[in-house]
Amino acid sequence: MSDLDRAIEQLRACRLIPESQVRELCYKARELLIEEGNVVSVDAPVTICGDIHGQFHDLMELFRVGGDVPDTNYLFMGDFVDRGFYSLESFLLLLCLKVRYPDRMTLIRGNHESRQITTVYGFYDECIRKYGSANVWRYCCEVFDYLALGAIVLGASSELEPTSSSANDTTQSTMPIDDSELETEVLNSRGEVTMSTYRQRQRSSSDASTDSRNISPPRDISAAPGQTGAPYKSGAPGTGAGGDSNGSAATSRTGAVLCVHGGLSPLIDSVDKIRLIDRKQEVPHEGAMCDLLWSDPDEIEGWGLSPRGAGFLFGGDIVKRFNHLNGLSLVARAHQLVMEGYKEMFDGGIVTVWSAPNYCYRCGNVAAILELGEDASNGGIVARSNGEYGRSNGVMGADSLNTVVSPGRRYRVFEAAAQDTRGMPAKKPVADYFL
Amino acid sequence: MALELQPPDGRKRVKVYELRNNDWFDRGTGFCTGQVLDEIPQIFVESEDEPNRVLLETKILKDGYQKQQETLIVWTEHNGTDMALSFQEAEGCAVIWEFVNSVQQQLPGLAAPDDALSDDLESYQSIVLPAPELGNLPDIEQMVRAASMTQPGRDALSKFIIRDEYINKLVPLVTMAEDLESLVDLHRLCNIMKSLILLNDNTIIETVVADQIILGVVGALEYDPEFPALKANHRQYLADQSRYKEVVPIRDAMIRMKIRNTWRLQYLKDVVLARILDDPTFSVLNSLIFFNQMEIVNHIQSNGPFLRELFSVFDPRNADAKRKDDAVQFLHQCAAIAKNLQAPSRAQLFGNFISHGLFAVIAFAVKHPNPAMRTTGIDILVALLDHDPVMMRGYMLKAVNEKKTPLTDTLIDLLHAETDLGVKNQLADAIKILLDPQIPLQDPLGRAGPDYFKVRSSNLLSDAFVQQHFDESSKRIFQPLKQLADRESLNDLTFQEVTLYAHLVDILTFFVRQHLFRTRNSIQSENLAPRVTQLLAAPQKHLKLVALKFFRTLISLQDTFYQALMTHNNTFGMILDIVLETMPRDNLLNSACLELFEFIKRENIKPFIVHVVEKYRDKLEQITYVDTFQSLTMRFEQLQGYSAEAEADSALFSQEEGSTPRRMPLNGQRWQGVKGLDVDEERYFETADDDDEDEWIQEDRSSLSVGTPNGSTPLMLKPLVDYPDDDDDEDAMDTNKTDSLANPAEGDPLNLPDVEAEASSEADATPPSPAQTPPVPERLAEKRRRDEEDEDELGKLAAGPKRRSSTSSNSSAGILNRKKNLSIGSDKGTAALGGNASAAPKRIAINLGPAKSSVSEDDKSCTEVSNDGNEKENRDDSQGNEDG
Repeated sequence: MSDLDRAIEQLRACRLIPESQVRELCYKARELLIEEGNVVSVDAPVTICGDIHGQFHDLMELFRVGGDVPDTNYLFMGDFVDRGFYSLESFLLLLCLKVRYPDRMTLIRGNHESRQITTVYGFYDECIRKYGSANVWRYCCEVFDYLALGAIVLGASSELEPTSSSANDTTQSTMPIDDSELETEVLNSRGEVTMSTYRQRQRSSSDASTDSRNISPPRDISAAPGQTGAPYKSGAPGTGAGGDSNGSAATSRTGAVLCVHGGLSPLIDSVDKIRLIDRKQEVPHEGAMCDLLWSDPDEIEGWGLSPRGAGFLFGGDIVKRFNHLNGLSLVARAHQLVMEGYKEMFDGGIVTVWSAPNYCYRCGNVAAILELGEDASNGGIVARSNGEYGRSNGVMGADSLNTVVSPGRRYRVFEAAAQDTRGMPAKKPVADYFL
Repeated sequence: MALELQPPDGRKRVKVYELRNNDWFDRGTGFCTGQVLDEIPQIFVESEDEPNRVLLETKILKDGYQKQQETLIVWTEHNGTDMALSFQEAEGCAVIWEFVNSVQQQLPGLAAPDDALSDDLESYQSIVLPAPELGNLPDIEQMVRAASMTQPGRDALSKFIIRDEYINKLVPLVTMAEDLESLVDLHRLCNIMKSLILLNDNTIIETVVADQIILGVVGALEYDPEFPALKANHRQYLADQSRYKEVVPIRDAMIRMKIRNTWRLQYLKDVVLARILDDPTFSVLNSLIFFNQMEIVNHIQSNGPFLRELFSVFDPRNADAKRKDDAVQFLHQCAAIAKNLQAPSRAQLFGNFISHGLFAVIAFAVKHPNPAMRTTGIDILVALLDHDPVMMRGYMLKAVNEKKTPLTDTLIDLLHAETDLGVKNQLADAIKILLDPQIPLQDPLGRAGPDYFKVRSSNLLSDAFVQQHFDESSKRIFQPLKQLADRESLNDLTFQEVTLYAHLVDILTFFVRQHLFRTRNSIQSENLAPRVTQLLAAPQKHLKLVALKFFRTLISLQDTFYQALMTHNNTFGMILDIVLETMPRDNLLNSACLELFEFIKRENIKPFIVHVVEKYRDKLEQITYVDTFQSLTMRFEQLQGYSAEAEADSALFSQEEGSTPRRMPLNGQRWQGVKGLDVDEERYFETADDDDEDEWIQEDRSSLSVGTPNGSTPLMLKPLVDYPDDDDDEDAMDTNKTDSLANPAEGDPLNLPDVEAEASSEADATPPSPAQTPPVPERLAEKRRRDEEDEDELGKLAAGPKRRSSTSSNSSAGILNRKKNLSIGSDKGTAALGGNASAAPKRIAINLGPAKSSVSEDDKSCTEVSNDGNEKENRDDSQGNEDG
């Protein structure tokens, strides 16, 4: 058993690894993360998770519900630390798994992965408390600076394979009609289906062109890429079946999914713009990088001032335009507590995923993770292009006459870990005191 | 009492609610009026359906009213019932609210200091709990819970608990129930104890941690009914006397007690109650801890014999190594506590320590064989630096003046030799602050300490002297970097070397950013730039990245001296090589390089554009996967053709968000950490006032519609409004700050060599004329925004040192914040509904402030409608706008 495996074992048992090992881990992680683009490409199937916030036992519950690493391919959208009492254990475990299974674990940066924020919301104090000095905190913060800012999920299937076991009587769903496909499914932590929705199967390109989403944008949209000479390309579709729709259901394109902690930025009109950020820095107080980590969707039009004092609020029109211009079918983000664990907004254009159940040990919310299936039609052969030249991949681009279909979404909802598995959550008291 | 009140006219449509069993019960809809009947001001609500039915008739009380959102007034009746009026119109709410306020202002005795004690006791129900026995615990639990629901109930209960010393009576029941193994009773005791602590009464909490009671209290809290299968072991921890280390005995019994109690309070806060603490209780605990610590520290620093004994531990003749280590840790803990104190007490403490020989202790610790002790030692040093860098630099320069070895030299040598990477990190940070080339002109925080700081006068040392010292230290510190010149290959760098170079380049970057001129000498004379260029070819990617960051910083300074540095060595060639090497990949290094060239393009920095395109055209042409380099070439060609278009472009770009070059902070103060952030994120970033924000958003939106970073919308190419003179100057500074920075003649003895004059005059040719500034409202906004930006820039500068500054230095303010923050559910969700951008949702958070302050601020808990209600609200709140 390698040191790394041993460390993973130890951390899974919620026991810390020695400082020297943390340091080594952080250096290894740095080597790995420096090779990742600002926007990492990830291939479906993937399980997307939101905020964890140091709730270690609930993270273990997440792995129980979602499947273990490396069997399940995970994407965590930041905010691993602060608030909960086990930020160190949680983050170090995730980092170990990242180093051990780099292709099965993607970590992107949240607004709490920052020096300033962690000194206020608990992670710094936890490091001091558990290691006696700020060294481990420094190592971790250094890693934070290297974390990617977002991820693009490619090759997600538009249709879910129905889950067999359903909690019969409680299932509420839209009627499964003939010739419809399963679009979303919500499962409880026992794997029982509690809700499902269906949509009309996309049949032909002519049918598709009547779709309301299919209106090409007016040419004078201020951010129209052709005008700016921005690195915008009508590149190859990022996903699924190529070529024109030919009447079979399998060829409706599932657009790529952008995953980012906070949301969109007025300074970022295309995914490629994100790639032009020098991300190795403390999260700035403004600018594109800040917005990606701080913004929130809201029921407004256009952009609005964020009550958080950083980032912006953005409305459905913004999401719609962004998704359209970038060939995205969905933006997945975290950053906001949602009591049901997930919340879709703007006709499914954006979803908030929240993975910290009973947040702060008192909010009473449930958590969720989002599973995107693999598009069987391409045989799952899209290689993980992490690092490889992937620009404009996933940007469906100019071919706006084709409908972008949103991926089938399976939400697994779960509650806080049972008491007997976690004990009473508590901070570690100081060992000795002089004063 | 003759009330001269103008009752509001008109009837306001309103719903009347009453809190029953934790639910708001709808008493009906009606019309609300304010009246003065028999000189008694009242609020009346008549039913809408049956005009003669009175839904509400209530005398206006002295305090306890709250206005929530725009349409809600909430208060507690005489009898303890919580009531709420929900108005149909915000305007109606405002009218009634104004009436209530004016009544309150005229009610006598409102400001009476003994208000809290002389309350109309008869009007509140007074609470008496039965003497506790295991048999009546259910009743007691019930009564406590009921009383906790309402503010008067809580007050009455607190008074009773204190007067009756009730907790003392409860404590024996814990062991009794344990003996009987009665888990039910233990759970009840736990609930009762929790409720009593959450009354947030200072006196109760102080009682709870007293010697004879604490173990009983935490004993009860070990049996949390939420975790029926578990039992905590708080007693075991708190009973362990050996946890208290005493290096030098503290003889004052009172202080010893405070130390003990503070430790217990901390344990309560961090462990026992961590999950269930609400904000008010949290702040009560924090303030108790704060005041205790203040007393303890005051005692220590004024206790001469104690300090002498403490520092005599470090006497070289003293062989007790363990005791020395403990003493270092004692001092470390003092320093940590001092961070939370107010500046004057902190100054006094440190001053006393220093006069007793703190520097010798630090010197002892940083050379300690055990890395943990070295870390501790540097931590103390960093605490001093955080507290007052000016003072510390004063000491350092004084030592130099007296021809002693200054602290910096010691630290530099340690940095070169240190093998523990954590310690090395800290050393690098400490050196940055000590040598920070930017000397603050004055002490902006008014950290005016007592007379110990005569040493400060040494700041008046001539600039030449400071420069000389800086040059010498730089020479010393960058020596290893200089030696790179003799190195043929970087392929055999050891891990330690890589770390050291990374730190050195990082420090150099910091210096350059902090002071435009001070670092030039050493960069020039030590020939450092080619060394950093060399590092661009190191095999370690993160080292490349550090070197790249250095050059990116030079570029952003837009200074001809540094521009010359970059164009002389093959720097851009090396950077382009990195792009070429990483080109098929999309990675961090690649993005960082692209960002650098994008910046040059965006800022239209002509010398670089010309240099890069002329010299490396063939390389540029190989890079086609992004259009950055083609557009650079295009820019170059435009420059050659000198089209007016390019000019206009540059004007446009220089106004864009995020494209402003980093500026030198004007007042020269090192970033001190984030101020006043304590409570929650929203608050943390809320710095501006309403107006500013509106401006802000307007500005941001306009810039959105105007063009995206790479976009040039023809709209904006037109020169805009002319502007009054005085403002013009300022604005010219703003938009053209690159020039003022690049202008070598500005107030520095170290003028640029003549060679560069040409280049600089060329740079001068670029600036956009004032006529290209944006229209009036935006300009105002922009200026304000930039003011704020200054802070941010400061933040960024200090983010350089990557070090935790004393963010907690203002915990007292934090307590206040916290108090304010116990808001009554600021429902941002609702507000946002009304808001498109112009109705910024943010103001909800703000208008709670005033509403609250109109309520008696002294009464810590009066703002709470009821505990549960409040919590529910909070929950809703977090639901609506939880931050991640």
